[in-house]
Amino acid sequence: MSVYAVADAPGIRVHVADLGMACCAVEFAAALGRGLLVEAPDDGEPSARVLVVSGTVTDVLAPSVLAAWEALPAPKAAMSFGACSNTGGPYWDSYSVTKGVDQVIPVHSYVPGCPPRPEALIDAIVELAASA
Amino acid sequence: MTQVPEQARGVIALDPVACTSCMICVRECPDWCIEIDSHTEEVTEPGARRPRFVAVLDRFAIDWGLCMYCGICVEVCPFDALFWSPEHDYPASEPGGLVQETQRLADWLPSVPQR
Ligand code: SF4
Ligand code: SF4
Ligand code: SF4
Repeated sequence: MSVYAVADAPGIRVHVADLGMACCAVEFAAALGRGLLVEAPDDGEPSARVLVVSGTVTDVLAPSVLAAWEALPAPKAAMSFGACSNTGGPYWDSYSVTKGVDQVIPVHSYVPGCPPRPEALIDAIVELAASA
Repeated sequence: MTQVPEQARGVIALDPVACTSCMICVRECPDWCIEIDSHTEEVTEPGARRPRFVAVLDRFAIDWGLCMYCGICVEVCPFDALFWSPEHDYPASEPGGLVQETQRLADWLPSVPQR
């Protein structure tokens, strides 16, 4: 888990646990690479703690997602980033894919896209931090 | 909303006036994420030999939670009723919140770059 500051919203510091499970995770890296999210020092209470589930969740991996959620200290929020973790997405008909990570953990923000843009990640983080 | 290039594939806007409820997009969508309800109405034009039947769109919904933004629906629509818009900031806070109906889809139209 790392602490990030949002470049465009200086007051916001978020603790993010990034569970990158498939291609959507690349957009998280893109947000960092483009400087939309910047690593910040881990001092004091963050604006929010967010578990970002990006990519395809399979039934085999679902218990690990639940464990990661339970390991995150409260107050916390979960973001489902991309079609796969929202509903199964392109794998809606697959035997092994979980049809939405909300079957395993509570989800506070569903971000649409396949993959969503890095900007959508930033907008959703800002919204979660504002409602935390 | 964080700015993105205008040709970005953020969301698909619907022109409900142009849509003829032909169902081609629904059948071509690989994810089955478009839902359409329609009914047929009989129209009698003055001087016509017989009445015509026209399809009237009752409901057009896209489930953005399922959509993979492939653009097949936009490509196959023979009536130019679907358009890419760069708007991307529409996360939902509850399950099913990404299913958007006719009016919301039509509300994206002004954000479509060139039509
Ligand atoms: S939603 Fe699309 S881009 Fe994201 S993990 Fe699934 S297939 Fe890959
Ligand atoms: S972009 Fe592709 S997945 Fe999305 S509604 Fe259109 S055809 Fe379906
Ligand atoms: S293909 Fe175009 S005209 Fe036909 S139902 Fe879809 S949006 Fe409407």
